[in-house]
Amino acid sequence: MTVPFQISSEELKVFLEEAEEELALLEQDLVLLEKEADNQELLQEIFRAAHTLKGSSATIGHQKMAQITHLMENLLDQLRHQELEMSPELTDVLLEAVDVLVLLKDEIAEQKDLGIDITGIVARLQSFQEIGPGNKTAAPAYWTNSTPTEPLADRREVTSSAGTIPAVEAASTAEKLLAPPAGGAVSAGDAIPAVTPPGEAMASVEAVIPETPTLEEAEKLREAGQRGLTPLVAEIRLQEDCLMPSVRAYQAFLALADAGEVLGSRPPLEDIEQDRVENRVVFFLASRLRPEEISAALLTISEVAAARVEKLALALPAPGRNSPPLAPNGDGTGGDVGAARTNLKAGISHSVRVDVDLLDNLMNLVGELVIDRNRLAQFLGDFSLQEETGQDLGQIATHLSRVTSELQEEIMRARMLPVENLFKKFPRMVRDLAQKAGKEINFLVEGQETELDRSVIEEIGDPLMHLLRNAIDHGIESPAEREAAGKPRVGTIRLTARHEENRIIITVQDDGRGIDPEKVRRSAVKKGLLTEEAANRLSDDEAIDLIFVPGFSTAERVTEVSGRGVGMDVVRRNLERLNGSVEVDTTPGQGTTFRITLPLTLAIIQALLVEGDEVVFAIPLGSVVEALHLKPGEARRINKKEVIQVRGEVVPLVRLTEVFWGQKTVGPTSSEAGEEGANDVIPVVMVNVAGRHLGIAVDALLGEQEVVIKGLGSVLGDIPGVAGATILGDGRVALIMDVAGFAKLANVQTKERVHRWSTLQRDAAGAD
Amino acid sequence: MVGIVENEEQLVVCQLAEETYGINIANVREIITMQKITRVPRTPDFIEGIINLRGRILPVIDLRKRFGLAVSEYTRATRIIEVETGGKSVGIIVDGVSEVLRISRDWVEPPSPFIVSVDSEYIRGVAKVDDRLIILLDLDKVLSPSEKAELERVGGARD
Repeated sequence: MTVPFQISSEELKVFLEEAEEELALLEQDLVLLEKEADNQELLQEIFRAAHTLKGSSATIGHQKMAQITHLMENLLDQLRHQELEMSPELTDVLLEAVDVLVLLKDEIAEQKDLGIDITGIVARLQSFQEIGPGNKTAAPAYWTNSTPTEPLADRREVTSSAGTIPAVEAASTAEKLLAPPAGGAVSAGDAIPAVTPPGEAMASVEAVIPETPTLEEAEKLREAGQRGLTPLVAEIRLQEDCLMPSVRAYQAFLALADAGEVLGSRPPLEDIEQDRVENRVVFFLASRLRPEEISAALLTISEVAAARVEKLALALPAPGRNSPPLAPNGDGTGGDVGAARTNLKAGISHSVRVDVDLLDNLMNLVGELVIDRNRLAQFLGDFSLQEETGQDLGQIATHLSRVTSELQEEIMRARMLPVENLFKKFPRMVRDLAQKAGKEINFLVEGQETELDRSVIEEIGDPLMHLLRNAIDHGIESPAEREAAGKPRVGTIRLTARHEENRIIITVQDDGRGIDPEKVRRSAVKKGLLTEEAANRLSDDEAIDLIFVPGFSTAERVTEVSGRGVGMDVVRRNLERLNGSVEVDTTPGQGTTFRITLPLTLAIIQALLVEGDEVVFAIPLGSVVEALHLKPGEARRINKKEVIQVRGEVVPLVRLTEVFWGQKTVGPTSSEAGEEGANDVIPVVMVNVAGRHLGIAVDALLGEQEVVIKGLGSVLGDIPGVAGATILGDGRVALIMDVAGFAKLANVQTKERVHRWSTLQRDAAGAD
Repeated sequence: MVGIVENEEQLVVCQLAEETYGINIANVREIITMQKITRVPRTPDFIEGIINLRGRILPVIDLRKRFGLAVSEYTRATRIIEVETGGKSVGIIVDGVSEVLRISRDWVEPPSPFIVSVDSEYIRGVAKVDDRLIILLDLDKVLSPSEKAELERVGGARD
């Protein structure tokens, strides 16, 4: 069988990237729409995504894809016009259609016909369409409620009436700006037959001419407005029998370009250049000329039947889901996809797509540069630069150092992506899993605009998915159970992301049944993880921490969803490998919160260098609260634990070398607390671990430095308290401290749990 | 003609506690002199630490400790051999490196506890070359933490 479509590898790449984005968007928004059936903006976005997909699949001649997207588009249009109501069944079918589209996209990626059968999904989509009009309800209420401006039906006139052009809406409110741009061009009114030959589908694609600016265009128009230009919309209609519409359209473009700055058009300029023009063209421009002057200029062009130029009122940028990200994104996926695509010309576009490998290479190279810069600084520090050449060298080094820092910062920024890229795949998953588990769940996502390094985003997908699965499967109770407990029938799972200092905090919170420490104890005993006696000795917090022990799962029955207890330990280990941590906070009957703390990037960190027993440790600066010098006698003992008082706060004190090597540091600090060496002060680094402070006594503070994180190698594997290693300016190797892991070690030691644990494990082994 | 006949292998020959060991040259990346080693906490005793090998971090194992032999001072002859196997790279400390030797596989016999003092677990055979005995190391076993090593690690953490 031959390949049913033709596409060059260059086109293929662009198509696939686009298709992946649109499909992800569709999936995400459809799930949202199920809850917010009245959200026109959302519906519009879904419509646009389906529409874009239809256009691009028709362009490459992929008929199956074009057919499905066409049917979806019809249904969505009916939804838009209240001719159809949103229902779980409809969502199911639309999501199913997305699934098929994903398969078809894979077909394109592999450039071969996989023989995917689409008759089933086509029939199901059609069945909705057929019952559609009969479903028409509540339309009047909608018009009066949510759209104060003229109904969409008026817009349809724009395309259907020839010759005269009615005064078309200049967007006047934010709502309007975001209102359906495609207007009624493809609507139930001029309904295309359910199954169209692809040629016709393509024609209808081109007939759609949205006449509101995209967010990006609106942004540029607004910006031009600030420079004293007037944002305008210009519309021309060509004679029906016009022989060269694209030439006329291009002439119009040139005329407008003379009059001001053309910032966008429908169809886009590329299409005009490639002769894809119907007889109506809309331009967005900013000009100093009056609208009448411009329309007069347009009317001088042959075969232009009518021209209309009006001022365009622009709303403030809409906040929330559609707002463009603040920083340019590395691969350009973060922004408003539609806006990026409808850019007039490459010259106007401010973003390019960059291969991820290229960014990784750049990051590695910059990492090397940072090491060299540090070494250079150190060498220069060792020389006394008195001669002129020496001073020059110093200046060059200073400049090199500054440029390196800036370069590094910029590349880091280029690698940042909003977590949205990851979060957007969860609503669908939660919906499906909840359905499977018979739970009713309201899934809330907050802070998806939070940016972090793409390498981190890649790594946290699995752990997050696991936590969500856990929350659905074990956290949220069944509706009946919830009602019996006096809770709302629908459970809530909240996924949030935010920046906190230079870390990112992600939480997964549910209002389910919480984790019962008693149940955890029993389960751990049953699984032979520890003895009953030992389990009873654990505090509640310690007991709950058992869920992170390998092989533990409280699920009374193993389900498809949450697996077999291979989960939480892997979650914790994976996050700790990223120099992150996960903590659990739970209240029986009220819910559970998992709090994940992560660094913004995995490659380079600012660190405080300290020395302990001749080994240099780099403590990530993000965790350091302050460094202080402890005077003799300032450490006290409370309950066998050493503490210090810092501005009234009692902070536990541990010794670096003692925690790591189980020995006291050499020198004056080696004696028992309270009888410190008479004169010496002890350097202490106070760190913040999940909101708690911990003082770490070290031998010496060496200063701050930027360090490049390197792995320890697979032979060593994971070492508690050590996140990696780095090479210092003088070539020495320093260990990077994993502060959370270190705190745990310290905690474990002060509670003598190491000993207890090993005893427990022996007991458990002996019992077998 | 130079080249390796199918039945031959080339060994890097090194000394460790009065005995002669051979490592297949295919596994040897580099031989370097002794370096300053950064200790790494909470690792088994035989893991000496990590070094900076031209910008790379390389873990280093003391083979004497790994084999449970008497520990001795490092000398000017002490070398770190960087070996690579199964995707893992590690430096092993030996008392000295003497030569590269070509042997025939026919000369290799299975390890016998009467001939070698090292745990036969780490050995893939013994080659008789003239009047010498060369103990062939099984690098995979040396590098992968055996259960025994894991136990040592747990024991170390408890101290």
